[in-house]
Amino acid sequence: MRRPATHGLRGIGLLAALALLAGLPISPSRAQSAPSRDDIVAKLKDFDSAPDLDISALRQSVLDRSRSRSRKEPDPDKRPPVVPQILNLPTFTVSVDFDSDTPVVRPSSYETVGRIADALVYADLLPYSFLIVGHTASDGKRESNVMLSQRRADAIRDSLVNTFKISSKRVQSLGLGEEQFIDQAHPTSPVNLQVQIVTIAKLPDQSEQPAQASAPAAAKKKAKKR
Amino acid sequence: LTVARRIVSDAAMVRGRTILLILVLMSPSLASAQAMRVNSAKVMSYGDASALLAKSCGADIEANCRGVNLDATRLRECLSRNTDVISAQCKTDYLGVFDAIQKRINARVTVANACTREIVKLCNGSTKETSKSIPCLMTARGVTRNCTQAMDDAGYR
Repeated sequence: MRRPATHGLRGIGLLAALALLAGLPISPSRAQSAPSRDDIVAKLKDFDSAPDLDISALRQSVLDRSRSRSRKEPDPDKRPPVVPQILNLPTFTVSVDFDSDTPVVRPSSYETVGRIADALVYADLLPYSFLIVGHTASDGKRESNVMLSQRRADAIRDSLVNTFKISSKRVQSLGLGEEQFIDQAHPTSPVNLQVQIVTIAKLPDQSEQPAQASAPAAAKKKAKKR
Repeated sequence: LTVARRIVSDAAMVRGRTILLILVLMSPSLASAQAMRVNSAKVMSYGDASALLAKSCGADIEANCRGVNLDATRLRECLSRNTDVISAQCKTDYLGVFDAIQKRINARVTVANACTREIVKLCNGSTKETSKSIPCLMTARGVTRNCTQAMDDAGYR
């Protein structure tokens, strides 16, 4: 008589465990797993030579191309990359959740942005400067896509500079829209919605210091005493 | 004497009961309190602080701070404007999160102080450009524990 009862109980326990397991991945704040600081550092630190990049000129040429109305325009998967100079630089590619059609980073990606900040502060990456590159898939108007990806790259740059006080000299931003895909063979793939961090230069004689002059000044006084 | 003893034991019991009551009241928040305590000993990374903000306040931010980006000043302003409606967990954690981020930023300035001797003597550097000396400090011999700790707190290591 007792056995079916215990079976029943065990069954309920099993069901509960299954429900728990099934419920876990749905939890919204964990929808996306953030990269680790060390992964980002490893991808970005092997930097050899700096290409000559004029970011504001690049922005203009990307925008110009997105406006071209020529009949001979190639299909999205045949477009030549608009900034080929960055293709062979150390690059970290990461998913960032934005509110749709806005540059607002969703809380599910806060950790990702924080880990990028941790990586940029880490000793191995201190001597370098970086480009935050925004992309889109090939849906919608090309020109709007360039502008949206630029605003999204700007948003990440702003968080790094304003919230985590990464020196503004070390991070720039560039939106490529659908003018240069992450996965060119599949222009509509969500892979192309990702953001890229690219190591673009070794810093000459600059330093990574939060903008607070008082403490180093105090340190200097101390140093003089000795 | 018995009366006195009874008073004493009553007092002890009351004290015991109060402690029990406090323990019971605190138990749901014990886990997060413990996490915060662990973090207060060690300076939190930006990633951990951002993850905690998303975990405790993500839903509150989506509901009440639409359009606000990951900006410490604007988010803090929005959350404090909405303290009436945000979740208890968010209310408990959000100020601590922004403090943790600020702590890590300040820690970078502290390195210039804690490592003055090392920067000048071991790395031929200047405290005006601390970050230029960091790669040297990482491998230099004779770096004080204070300086190492400061570099840990700043996230350089």
